[in-house]
Amino acid sequence: MTDLAVPLRAKDTEPRSRDQVVLAGLLSLPTLFLIVLCLIPLFLLVQLSFAHREDGGLWRAGLELTQYRQLLNPQFLKVALFSFTLALTTAVISVALAFPVAYFISRMKRRAQITWLVGLLSTLSLSEVLIVFSFQVLLSGGGGLVKALVALGIMDSVHSLYPNFAAVMVCLVYLVLPYIILFLYPAMSQLDDDIPAAATTMGASPARAFLTVVAPMVKGPLLSAGLLVVIFTVGSYLTPLVLGRPQQWTVGILISNGAMTTGNLPLAAAQAVALVALMVGLLGLVRLLTRAGSPAS
Amino acid sequence: MNEGLVSTILRRGFLALVALFIAAPLVVVIGVSFNEGRRMSFPPSELSLKWYKAFFTDAGWMKSLETSLSISALAAVIAVIVALPIAYAVWRYNSKAAKALAGVGSGLFLLPGVVTALMFSAFWGMAGHVGRIENVILSHSVILLGIPVAMLSVGFQSIEKALIEAAHTMGAGDAEAFRMVVRPAMTPYILCALVYVFVLSLNEYLIAYMVAGFSVQTLPIRVFTSLRSGYEPTMCVGAVIFILLGFAAFSLLAAVGDLPKLMGRHRPLEA
Repeated sequence: MTDLAVPLRAKDTEPRSRDQVVLAGLLSLPTLFLIVLCLIPLFLLVQLSFAHREDGGLWRAGLELTQYRQLLNPQFLKVALFSFTLALTTAVISVALAFPVAYFISRMKRRAQITWLVGLLSTLSLSEVLIVFSFQVLLSGGGGLVKALVALGIMDSVHSLYPNFAAVMVCLVYLVLPYIILFLYPAMSQLDDDIPAAATTMGASPARAFLTVVAPMVKGPLLSAGLLVVIFTVGSYLTPLVLGRPQQWTVGILISNGAMTTGNLPLAAAQAVALVALMVGLLGLVRLLTRAGSPAS
Repeated sequence: MNEGLVSTILRRGFLALVALFIAAPLVVVIGVSFNEGRRMSFPPSELSLKWYKAFFTDAGWMKSLETSLSISALAAVIAVIVALPIAYAVWRYNSKAAKALAGVGSGLFLLPGVVTALMFSAFWGMAGHVGRIENVILSHSVILLGIPVAMLSVGFQSIEKALIEAAHTMGAGDAEAFRMVVRPAMTPYILCALVYVFVLSLNEYLIAYMVAGFSVQTLPIRVFTSLRSGYEPTMCVGAVIFILLGFAAFSLLAAVGDLPKLMGRHRPLEA
């Protein structure tokens, strides 16, 4: 990225201050935009979490820990633990599926690759609302899948396949799968074919070569992909709300209910801050563990 | 040799299953949308375009579609206008400030949807500017900013260094080099970034709902609210339109830009 900037800068050493002026001009609008629409809202969210709650969905600015203390009740902790378990399970399943898919796609001919990419991007961009709705249709008694399962004798009677944990899980995997395949795609297309090929000529089966030679080469991207899934699903809201039972409710549902129905904005804000803090903590932990594990440092 | 055949069959079978999984809910919704009856049934018992007619003659659905399309178009334009100087400053000046801005943009994209939705609803509430369409447009453009920044950066990096040097040796100034080399090279990337932000904004519902959901009804919000009250066959038509819009947008993207490269492939591909 810098290879271009260096020769250009070397050429004009004296109008260095002119560069600064141009740069300031270029970046003034984006800076203003991000301060107003990102930093101020973030600050307000944190401030809100320390605010004092008043009746009727109102609150006034303050610096109290009431809301944070409420987070320690077992009910919230249970929901938070469930959210993270759900996110981690989704991560493991979706990465295990996406890894071979991304590898195979990166080895296809150009046309086939583009077809897969267009298909993946189209489903990736599809609203969670529409996907959850589609799953509702697919899993309902009249949705075809149930009829097929009954006809095959796998199910005894016609009844819908949701709400339950499995429906939530499958839909979440569906939602993140295109993201993860596309996330792993660059790393897979950069992989050298010579090493797995060498392993197969030395007698390893293709599946074995894939698992013992290819997988370790992309350990880093696989781990990042898993983290990305956790980040995406830990705050999931609509899928557990529609396809799950109240036992499968997540922090995301608590936060939006708090904000939209019960009108306790300070508590919702505290829950949101806690969720982000837990996520950042998890990221830090993984980074620490991987750094300790790698021989380089 | 035989083992090679087995692994080919296994690979094809696996990919076919994944493709089936990805296609299944979409196929079912498309099928149900052509169903004659009011009750949900797949495969459709009798084919009919009745619900399409109902969708396109319903003022409420059409208004939602129009609202969705205008929000996304404006959000895409704003996001790209803000992203361009950031990506350019990172590439041309290797500016630390621009890198920090890019980092803030992509960090925001990684926050859970509920958190950003709550953040923006608090922000617009305190600004005393509630339930307006601009709230959704601006919130979408800032939340999706990381995408155009990343895509435009790929574009800038792909510009041949030699071409700019050639332009300079031929006596072109910075402005001319920009016009002759940078602008034409960047056009497809700008287009791709616009399409991408447009499609993602079109499908976003949680922020839109929490920021202005009661007064600004985008199509996903309408589906979302009827999702909780009960099934309506016109919802399927709305879903089909969005499936087709996304598919059309990304096919266009594949036709205009080098999709494998845009998705991060650096090695050239044989046709």
